[in-house]
Amino acid sequence: METNGQANASVLIVDDEDMVTTSIRAFLQLETEYDVYGFNDPVQAVRHLETNPVDVIVSDYLMPKLNGIQFLSKAKEYQPEAARVLLTGHADKQSAIQAINEVGLFQYLEKPWDNSQLLLVIQAAIERTVLLRTLRDKISALDVAHSNLKDVQSKLLRAFL
Amino acid sequence: MSEATTGSQALSLAAELERLREERDELQHLLAEAHKMASLGRLSAGIVHEINTPIGSIFSNNEVLSRTAEKVRALVLAAAESNQPPPAKALALLDTMMSLFAVDKMACERISSVIRSLKTFARVNDSDIREIDLNELLLNTIKLTSCTYRRRVSVETDLGELPKVECYPGLLSQVFLNLIVNASQAIPNEGRILVSTRQESEHVHVSVTDTGTGIRPQDRHKIFAAGFTTKPIGEGTGLGLNITREIVVDTHGGTIDFESEVGVGTTFHVHLPVRQPRREGSL
Repeated sequence: METNGQANASVLIVDDEDMVTTSIRAFLQLETEYDVYGFNDPVQAVRHLETNPVDVIVSDYLMPKLNGIQFLSKAKEYQPEAARVLLTGHADKQSAIQAINEVGLFQYLEKPWDNSQLLLVIQAAIERTVLLRTLRDKISALDVAHSNLKDVQSKLLRAFL
Repeated sequence: MSEATTGSQALSLAAELERLREERDELQHLLAEAHKMASLGRLSAGIVHEINTPIGSIFSNNEVLSRTAEKVRALVLAAAESNQPPPAKALALLDTMMSLFAVDKMACERISSVIRSLKTFARVNDSDIREIDLNELLLNTIKLTSCTYRRRVSVETDLGELPKVECYPGLLSQVFLNLIVNASQAIPNEGRILVSTRQESEHVHVSVTDTGTGIRPQDRHKIFAAGFTTKPIGEGTGLGLNITREIVVDTHGGTIDFESEVGVGTTFHVHLPVRQPRREGSL
Protein backbone atom coordinates (compact mmCIF):
# COMPACT_ATOMS: atom_id res chain seq x y z
CA MET A 1 0.00 0.00 0.00
CA GLU A 2 1.25 3.49 -0.85
CA THR A 3 1.78 5.94 1.93
CA ASN A 4 2.41 9.00 -0.26
CA GLY A 5 5.73 10.09 1.14
CA GLN A 6 4.51 10.30 4.73
CA ALA A 7 7.47 8.26 5.90
CA ASN A 8 8.34 10.36 8.93
CA ALA A 9 4.83 10.55 10.30
CA SER A 10 4.07 9.32 13.80
CA VAL A 11 0.92 7.59 14.98
CA LEU A 12 -0.11 6.99 18.58
CA ILE A 13 -2.60 4.21 19.34
CA VAL A 14 -4.35 3.86 22.69
CA ASP A 15 -6.49 0.88 23.59
CA ASP A 16 -6.69 -0.91 26.91
CA GLU A 17 -6.60 -4.18 24.95
CA ASP A 18 -3.08 -5.28 24.15
CA MET A 19 -4.43 -7.37 21.27
CA VAL A 20 -5.65 -4.23 19.49
CA THR A 21 -2.46 -2.20 19.84
CA THR A 22 -0.36 -5.25 18.85
CA SER A 23 -2.48 -5.92 15.75
CA ILE A 24 -2.61 -2.34 14.50
CA ARG A 25 1.05 -1.73 15.23
CA ALA A 26 2.02 -4.90 13.33
CA PHE A 27 -0.15 -3.82 10.40
CA LEU A 28 1.23 -0.27 10.23
CA GLN A 29 4.81 -1.39 10.66
CA LEU A 30 4.39 -3.87 7.83
CA GLU A 31 2.69 -1.46 5.44
CA THR A 32 4.21 1.93 6.28
CA GLU A 33 7.33 3.65 7.55
CA TYR A 34 5.45 5.45 10.32
CA ASP A 35 6.71 5.61 13.86
CA VAL A 36 3.97 3.77 15.74
CA TYR A 37 3.50 4.12 19.52
CA GLY A 38 1.03 1.82 21.26
CA PHE A 39 -0.28 2.37 24.79
CA ASN A 40 -2.67 0.29 26.85
CA ASP A 41 -2.97 2.92 29.56
CA PRO A 42 -4.43 6.30 28.49
CA VAL A 43 -2.68 8.10 31.37
CA GLN A 44 0.72 6.93 30.12
CA ALA A 45 -0.29 7.96 26.61
CA VAL A 46 -1.09 11.48 27.87
CA ARG A 47 2.36 11.63 29.48
CA HIS A 48 3.93 10.65 26.16
CA LEU A 49 1.98 13.41 24.39
CA GLU A 50 3.24 16.05 26.85
CA THR A 51 6.69 15.92 25.28
CA ASN A 52 6.50 13.97 22.02
CA PRO A 53 4.72 15.46 19.01
CA VAL A 54 2.65 13.03 16.93
CA ASP A 55 0.59 13.46 13.77
CA VAL A 56 -2.36 11.17 14.47
CA ILE A 57 -3.92 9.84 17.68
CA VAL A 58 -6.15 6.76 17.45
CA SER A 59 -8.07 6.01 20.64
CA ASP A 60 -10.48 3.39 21.93
CA TYR A 61 -13.60 4.63 23.73
CA LEU A 62 -14.16 2.30 26.70
CA MET A 63 -11.00 2.37 28.81
CA PRO A 64 -10.31 2.46 32.56
CA LYS A 65 -9.12 5.74 34.17
CA LEU A 66 -9.94 7.90 31.11
CA ASN A 67 -12.51 7.10 28.44
CA GLY A 68 -11.75 7.88 24.80
CA ILE A 69 -13.39 11.31 24.88
CA GLN A 70 -11.63 12.35 28.11
CA PHE A 71 -8.32 11.10 26.72
CA LEU A 72 -8.74 12.89 23.38
CA SER A 73 -9.67 16.12 25.20
CA LYS A 74 -6.38 15.93 27.12
CA ALA A 75 -4.54 15.07 23.90
CA LYS A 76 -6.08 18.15 22.27
CA GLU A 77 -4.71 20.35 25.08
CA TYR A 78 -1.15 19.19 24.46
CA GLN A 79 -1.28 18.75 20.70
CA PRO A 80 -4.17 20.65 19.16
CA GLU A 81 -3.00 20.02 15.61
CA ALA A 82 -2.71 16.23 15.83
CA ALA A 83 -5.72 14.61 14.15
CA ARG A 84 -7.93 12.63 16.56
CA VAL A 85 -9.58 9.35 15.58
CA LEU A 86 -11.93 7.31 17.77
CA LEU A 87 -11.87 3.56 17.13
CA THR A 88 -14.56 1.92 19.19
CA GLY A 89 -16.48 -1.30 19.56
CA HIS A 90 -18.98 0.47 21.80
CA ALA A 91 -22.29 0.33 19.95
CA ASP A 92 -23.38 3.76 21.09
CA LYS A 93 -23.89 6.56 18.59
CA GLN A 94 -24.22 9.02 21.47
CA SER A 95 -20.52 8.62 22.25
CA ALA A 96 -19.72 9.35 18.60
CA ILE A 97 -21.77 12.53 18.57
CA GLN A 98 -20.27 13.63 21.89
CA ALA A 99 -16.76 12.95 20.58
CA ILE A 100 -17.32 14.86 17.37
CA ASN A 101 -18.75 17.84 19.20
CA GLU A 102 -16.46 17.96 22.21
CA VAL A 103 -13.04 16.99 20.92
CA GLY A 104 -13.24 17.96 17.25
CA LEU A 105 -12.88 14.42 16.02
CA PHE A 106 -11.30 13.86 12.60
CA GLN A 107 -12.92 10.46 12.11
CA TYR A 108 -15.04 7.88 13.98
CA LEU A 109 -14.32 4.23 13.20
CA GLU A 110 -16.05 1.14 14.54
CA LYS A 111 -14.60 -2.20 15.55
CA PRO A 112 -14.14 -4.61 13.94
CA TRP A 113 -12.09 -2.28 11.79
CA ASP A 114 -11.01 -2.70 8.21
CA ASN A 115 -7.24 -2.27 7.75
CA SER A 116 -7.51 -0.56 4.34
CA GLN A 117 -10.06 1.91 5.69
CA LEU A 118 -7.96 2.51 8.81
CA LEU A 119 -4.89 3.23 6.68
CA LEU A 120 -6.82 5.61 4.41
CA VAL A 121 -8.10 7.49 7.46
CA ILE A 122 -4.61 7.68 8.97
CA GLN A 123 -3.12 8.90 5.67
CA ALA A 124 -5.80 11.60 5.34
CA ALA A 125 -5.31 12.54 9.00
CA ILE A 126 -1.55 12.92 8.55
CA GLU A 127 -2.15 15.09 5.48
CA ARG A 128 -4.49 17.29 7.48
CA THR A 129 -2.02 17.62 10.35
CA VAL A 130 0.82 18.50 7.98
CA LEU A 131 -1.40 21.11 6.28
CA LEU A 132 -2.41 22.58 9.64
CA ARG A 133 1.21 22.82 10.75
CA THR A 134 2.19 24.40 7.43
CA LEU A 135 -0.67 26.86 7.83
CA ARG A 136 0.46 27.66 11.38
CA ASP A 137 4.04 28.23 10.18
CA LYS A 138 2.81 30.47 7.33
CA ILE A 139 0.62 32.44 9.71
CA SER A 140 3.49 32.97 12.13
CA ALA A 141 5.79 33.93 9.23
CA LEU A 142 3.10 36.39 8.13
CA ASP A 143 2.89 37.74 11.68
CA VAL A 144 6.65 38.24 11.77
CA ALA A 145 6.57 39.92 8.33
CA HIS A 146 3.66 42.07 9.44
CA SER A 147 5.42 43.19 12.58
CA ASN A 148 8.66 43.85 10.61
CA LEU A 149 6.62 45.91 8.16
CA LYS A 150 5.12 47.89 11.02
CA ASP A 151 8.62 48.55 12.38
CA VAL A 152 9.79 49.72 8.98
CA GLN A 153 6.65 51.86 8.62
CA SER A 154 7.17 53.52 11.98
CA LYS A 155 10.88 54.09 11.19
CA LEU A 156 9.89 55.65 7.85
CA LEU A 157 7.35 57.86 9.54
CA ARG A 158 9.89 58.95 12.13
CA ALA A 159 12.44 59.65 9.37
CA PHE A 160 10.06 61.89 7.41
CA LEU A 161 8.28 63.69 10.23
CA MET B 1 -78.43 -27.03 48.99
CA SER B 2 -77.52 -30.69 49.20
CA GLU B 3 -74.28 -31.95 50.61
CA ALA B 4 -73.43 -33.45 47.22
CA THR B 5 -73.85 -30.06 45.51
CA THR B 6 -71.70 -28.30 48.13
CA GLY B 7 -69.05 -31.00 47.77
CA SER B 8 -69.00 -30.67 44.01
CA GLN B 9 -68.82 -26.86 44.25
CA ALA B 10 -65.91 -27.16 46.67
CA LEU B 11 -64.12 -29.53 44.28
CA SER B 12 -64.71 -27.19 41.38
CA LEU B 13 -63.42 -24.21 43.42
CA ALA B 14 -60.35 -26.20 44.45
CA ALA B 15 -59.70 -27.06 40.80
CA GLU B 16 -60.15 -23.39 39.85
CA LEU B 17 -57.74 -22.36 42.63
CA GLU B 18 -55.18 -24.87 41.42
CA ARG B 19 -55.58 -23.60 37.84
CA LEU B 20 -55.11 -20.00 39.00
CA ARG B 21 -52.01 -20.99 41.00
CA GLU B 22 -50.52 -22.65 37.91
CA GLU B 23 -51.38 -19.59 35.85
CA ARG B 24 -49.70 -17.35 38.45
CA ASP B 25 -46.57 -19.53 38.45
CA GLU B 26 -46.51 -19.43 34.67
CA LEU B 27 -46.84 -15.64 34.67
CA GLN B 28 -44.08 -15.34 37.27
CA HIS B 29 -41.80 -17.41 35.03
CA LEU B 30 -42.70 -15.27 32.03
CA LEU B 31 -42.10 -12.05 33.98
CA ALA B 32 -38.73 -13.32 35.21
CA GLU B 33 -37.82 -14.36 31.66
CA ALA B 34 -38.86 -10.96 30.27
CA HIS B 35 -36.88 -9.18 32.97
CA LYS B 36 -33.84 -11.35 32.24
CA MET B 37 -34.04 -10.47 28.55
CA ALA B 38 -34.33 -6.76 29.46
CA SER B 39 -31.24 -7.05 31.71
CA LEU B 40 -29.31 -8.78 28.94
CA GLY B 41 -30.46 -6.10 26.51
CA ARG B 42 -28.99 -3.44 28.79
CA LEU B 43 -25.72 -5.40 28.94
CA SER B 44 -25.64 -5.95 25.18
CA ALA B 45 -23.56 -2.84 24.36
CA GLY B 46 -20.80 -4.15 26.64
CA ILE B 47 -21.09 -7.66 25.18
CA VAL B 48 -20.87 -6.29 21.61
CA HIS B 49 -17.76 -4.30 22.57
CA GLU B 50 -16.23 -7.36 24.23
CA ILE B 51 -16.69 -9.42 21.07
CA ASN B 52 -15.93 -6.74 18.47
CA THR B 53 -12.50 -6.03 19.91
CA PRO B 54 -11.06 -9.55 19.40
CA ILE B 55 -12.89 -9.90 16.06
CA GLY B 56 -11.20 -6.67 14.92
CA SER B 57 -7.82 -8.09 15.88
CA ILE B 58 -8.43 -11.41 14.16
CA PHE B 59 -9.52 -9.73 10.91
CA SER B 60 -6.55 -7.40 10.96
CA ASN B 61 -4.07 -10.14 11.85
CA ASN B 62 -5.39 -12.49 9.17
CA GLU B 63 -4.60 -9.93 6.49
CA VAL B 64 -1.24 -9.01 8.00
CA LEU B 65 -0.23 -12.67 8.46
CA SER B 66 -1.07 -13.47 4.88
CA ARG B 67 0.97 -10.54 3.52
CA THR B 68 3.82 -11.25 5.93
CA ALA B 69 3.91 -14.89 4.84
CA GLU B 70 4.22 -13.73 1.22
CA LYS B 71 7.14 -11.49 2.15
CA VAL B 72 8.88 -14.24 4.13
CA ARG B 73 8.39 -16.65 1.24
CA ALA B 74 9.93 -14.19 -1.24
CA LEU B 75 12.89 -13.50 1.07
CA VAL B 76 13.54 -17.20 1.72
CA LEU B 77 13.27 -18.11 -1.99
CA ALA B 78 15.64 -15.30 -2.97
CA ALA B 79 18.13 -16.47 -0.34
CA ALA B 80 17.83 -20.09 -1.45
CA GLU B 81 18.47 -19.17 -5.07
CA SER B 82 21.76 -17.58 -4.10
CA ASN B 83 22.61 -20.32 -1.58
CA GLN B 84 22.40 -17.88 1.31
CA PRO B 85 20.83 -18.50 4.72
CA PRO B 86 17.42 -16.83 5.32
CA PRO B 87 18.03 -13.10 5.92
CA ALA B 88 17.53 -11.53 9.33
CA LYS B 89 14.54 -9.62 7.95
CA ALA B 90 12.73 -12.93 7.28
CA LEU B 91 13.39 -14.10 10.84
CA ALA B 92 12.11 -10.79 12.24
CA LEU B 93 8.94 -11.16 10.17
CA LEU B 94 8.50 -14.70 11.49
CA ASP B 95 8.72 -13.33 15.04
CA THR B 96 5.97 -10.82 14.20
CA MET B 97 3.88 -13.66 12.80
CA MET B 98 4.36 -15.71 15.97
CA SER B 99 3.20 -12.80 18.15
CA LEU B 100 0.11 -12.30 15.96
CA PHE B 101 -0.74 -16.02 16.16
CA ALA B 102 -0.60 -15.69 19.95
CA VAL B 103 -2.90 -12.64 19.79
CA ASP B 104 -5.34 -14.57 17.60
CA LYS B 105 -5.44 -17.47 20.04
CA MET B 106 -6.17 -15.08 22.89
CA ALA B 107 -8.83 -13.33 20.80
CA CYS B 108 -10.58 -16.63 19.97
CA GLU B 109 -10.53 -17.63 23.64
CA ARG B 110 -12.07 -14.27 24.54
CA ILE B 111 -14.94 -14.65 22.07
CA SER B 112 -15.47 -18.23 23.10
CA SER B 113 -15.70 -17.39 26.81
CA VAL B 114 -18.28 -14.64 26.18
CA ILE B 115 -20.38 -17.00 24.07
CA ARG B 116 -20.12 -19.72 26.76
CA SER B 117 -21.35 -17.30 29.41
CA LEU B 118 -24.19 -16.10 27.17
CA LYS B 119 -25.36 -19.69 26.79
CA THR B 120 -26.07 -19.76 30.53
CA PHE B 121 -28.75 -17.15 29.92
CA ALA B 122 -30.02 -18.41 26.60
CA ARG B 123 -31.81 -21.55 27.75
CA VAL B 124 -35.22 -20.88 26.33
CA ASN B 125 -37.15 -23.77 27.80
CA ASP B 126 -35.71 -24.18 31.25
CA SER B 127 -38.82 -24.93 33.22
CA ASP B 128 -37.56 -28.10 34.91
CA ILE B 129 -35.52 -28.42 38.06
CA ARG B 130 -31.97 -29.52 37.32
CA GLU B 131 -28.77 -30.09 39.25
CA ILE B 132 -26.21 -27.40 38.48
CA ASP B 133 -22.75 -26.23 39.41
CA LEU B 134 -23.63 -22.95 41.12
CA ASN B 135 -20.01 -21.69 41.05
CA GLU B 136 -19.93 -22.12 37.28
CA LEU B 137 -23.21 -20.22 36.93
CA LEU B 138 -21.76 -17.39 39.04
CA LEU B 139 -18.54 -17.26 37.00
CA ASN B 140 -20.55 -17.05 33.76
CA THR B 141 -22.68 -14.26 35.22
CA ILE B 142 -19.58 -12.36 36.34
CA LYS B 143 -18.07 -12.79 32.86
CA LEU B 144 -21.15 -11.27 31.19
CA THR B 145 -21.50 -8.34 33.55
CA SER B 146 -17.76 -7.65 33.39
CA CYS B 147 -18.11 -6.96 29.66
CA THR B 148 -19.89 -3.76 30.71
CA TYR B 149 -18.36 -2.91 34.08
CA ARG B 150 -14.84 -4.34 34.25
CA ARG B 151 -13.16 -1.04 33.38
CA ARG B 152 -14.28 0.48 36.65
CA VAL B 153 -15.37 -2.44 38.83
CA SER B 154 -13.14 -5.38 39.67
CA VAL B 155 -14.87 -8.56 40.72
CA GLU B 156 -13.14 -10.91 43.11
CA THR B 157 -14.37 -14.40 43.90
CA ASP B 158 -14.00 -16.62 46.91
CA LEU B 159 -15.80 -19.76 45.77
CA GLY B 160 -15.98 -22.65 48.20
CA GLU B 161 -16.53 -26.28 47.30
CA LEU B 162 -20.25 -26.78 46.67
CA PRO B 163 -22.44 -29.78 46.00
CA LYS B 164 -24.60 -29.74 42.87
CA VAL B 165 -27.63 -27.58 43.61
CA GLU B 166 -31.15 -28.48 42.51
CA CYS B 167 -32.81 -25.42 41.00
CA TYR B 168 -34.40 -23.79 38.01
CA PRO B 169 -31.11 -22.67 36.39
CA GLY B 170 -32.69 -20.07 34.11
CA LEU B 171 -34.41 -18.39 37.04
CA LEU B 172 -31.39 -18.59 39.31
CA SER B 173 -29.14 -17.03 36.68
CA GLN B 174 -31.56 -14.06 36.79
CA VAL B 175 -31.08 -13.76 40.55
CA PHE B 176 -27.30 -13.44 40.37
CA LEU B 177 -27.39 -11.29 37.24
CA ASN B 178 -29.64 -8.86 39.15
CA LEU B 179 -27.46 -8.86 42.25
CA ILE B 180 -24.17 -8.37 40.38
CA VAL B 181 -25.58 -5.69 38.03
CA ASN B 182 -27.10 -3.88 41.04
CA ALA B 183 -23.79 -4.08 42.88
CA SER B 184 -21.94 -2.67 39.84
CA GLN B 185 -24.44 0.15 39.45
CA ALA B 186 -24.21 0.99 43.16
CA ILE B 187 -20.51 1.81 42.68
CA PRO B 188 -20.34 5.40 41.41
CA ASN B 189 -16.77 5.43 40.11
CA GLU B 190 -14.30 2.65 40.72
CA GLY B 191 -14.72 -0.12 43.24
CA ARG B 192 -14.82 -3.80 44.02
CA ILE B 193 -17.33 -6.61 44.22
CA LEU B 194 -16.69 -9.82 46.13
CA VAL B 195 -18.73 -12.90 45.29
CA SER B 196 -18.33 -15.77 47.72
CA THR B 197 -19.95 -19.16 48.14
CA ARG B 198 -19.99 -21.66 50.98
CA GLN B 199 -21.85 -24.85 51.83
CA GLU B 200 -23.72 -24.60 55.12
CA SER B 201 -25.12 -28.08 55.95
CA GLU B 202 -28.11 -28.57 53.63
CA HIS B 203 -27.87 -25.07 52.16
CA VAL B 204 -25.52 -23.09 50.01
CA HIS B 205 -24.76 -19.51 50.95
CA VAL B 206 -23.92 -17.01 48.22
CA SER B 207 -22.93 -13.47 49.15
CA VAL B 208 -22.39 -10.48 46.88
CA THR B 209 -20.56 -7.57 48.52
CA ASP B 210 -19.98 -4.23 46.86
CA THR B 211 -18.06 -1.10 47.82
CA GLY B 212 -20.91 1.08 46.58
CA THR B 213 -22.98 3.88 48.03
CA GLY B 214 -25.01 1.63 50.33
CA ILE B 215 -28.79 1.62 50.80
CA ARG B 216 -30.29 4.56 52.71
CA PRO B 217 -31.99 3.51 55.98
CA GLN B 218 -35.34 4.94 54.80
CA ASP B 219 -35.21 2.77 51.63
CA ARG B 220 -34.27 -0.51 53.27
CA HIS B 221 -37.78 -1.79 53.96
CA LYS B 222 -38.86 -1.01 50.38
CA ILE B 223 -36.12 -2.55 48.26
CA PHE B 224 -37.90 -5.88 47.65
CA ALA B 225 -41.21 -4.17 46.80
CA ALA B 226 -42.36 -4.20 43.19
CA GLY B 227 -41.92 -0.83 41.49
CA PHE B 228 -39.36 0.60 43.91
CA THR B 229 -36.17 1.90 42.31
CA THR B 230 -33.57 4.56 43.01
CA LYS B 231 -32.13 4.31 39.49
CA PRO B 232 -32.76 6.94 36.81
CA ILE B 233 -35.70 6.46 34.44
CA GLY B 234 -34.84 3.91 31.78
CA GLU B 235 -32.17 2.16 33.88
CA GLY B 236 -34.27 0.42 36.50
CA THR B 237 -37.69 -1.16 36.30
CA GLY B 238 -38.09 -1.48 40.04
CA LEU B 239 -38.80 -5.17 39.50
CA GLY B 240 -35.30 -6.65 39.75
CA LEU B 241 -35.12 -7.28 43.48
CA ASN B 242 -38.82 -8.13 43.66
CA ILE B 243 -38.35 -10.88 41.08
CA THR B 244 -35.09 -11.90 42.77
CA ARG B 245 -36.89 -12.35 46.09
CA GLU B 246 -39.72 -14.33 44.49
CA ILE B 247 -37.29 -16.66 42.71
CA VAL B 248 -35.20 -17.27 45.83
CA VAL B 249 -37.96 -17.45 48.44
CA ASP B 250 -41.17 -18.54 46.67
CA THR B 251 -39.73 -20.71 43.91
CA HIS B 252 -36.69 -22.24 45.61
CA GLY B 253 -37.60 -22.10 49.29
CA GLY B 254 -34.49 -20.07 50.12
CA THR B 255 -33.86 -16.79 51.91
CA ILE B 256 -32.45 -13.46 50.86
CA ASP B 257 -31.36 -10.62 53.13
CA PHE B 258 -28.80 -7.85 53.16
CA GLU B 259 -26.65 -5.64 55.33
CA SER B 260 -25.72 -2.16 54.21
CA GLU B 261 -23.83 0.88 55.36
CA VAL B 262 -24.18 4.19 53.55
CA GLY B 263 -20.87 5.18 51.97
CA VAL B 264 -19.30 1.78 52.66
CA GLY B 265 -21.32 -0.75 50.66
CA THR B 266 -23.85 -3.53 50.72
CA THR B 267 -23.79 -7.30 51.04
CA PHE B 268 -26.65 -9.48 49.84
CA HIS B 269 -26.86 -12.97 51.32
CA VAL B 270 -28.73 -15.69 49.44
CA HIS B 271 -29.31 -19.07 51.09
CA LEU B 272 -30.59 -21.85 48.86
CA PRO B 273 -31.47 -25.42 49.79
CA VAL B 274 -29.25 -27.96 48.05
CA ARG B 275 -32.29 -30.21 47.37
CA GLN B 276 -35.74 -29.16 46.29
CA PRO B 277 -38.88 -30.99 47.53
CA ARG B 278 -39.93 -33.80 45.14
CA ARG B 279 -42.53 -32.56 42.70
CA GLU B 280 -44.42 -34.43 40.07
CA GLY B 281 -42.53 -34.43 36.79
CA SER B 282 -39.32 -33.04 38.24
CA LEU B 283 -36.00 -34.87 38.56
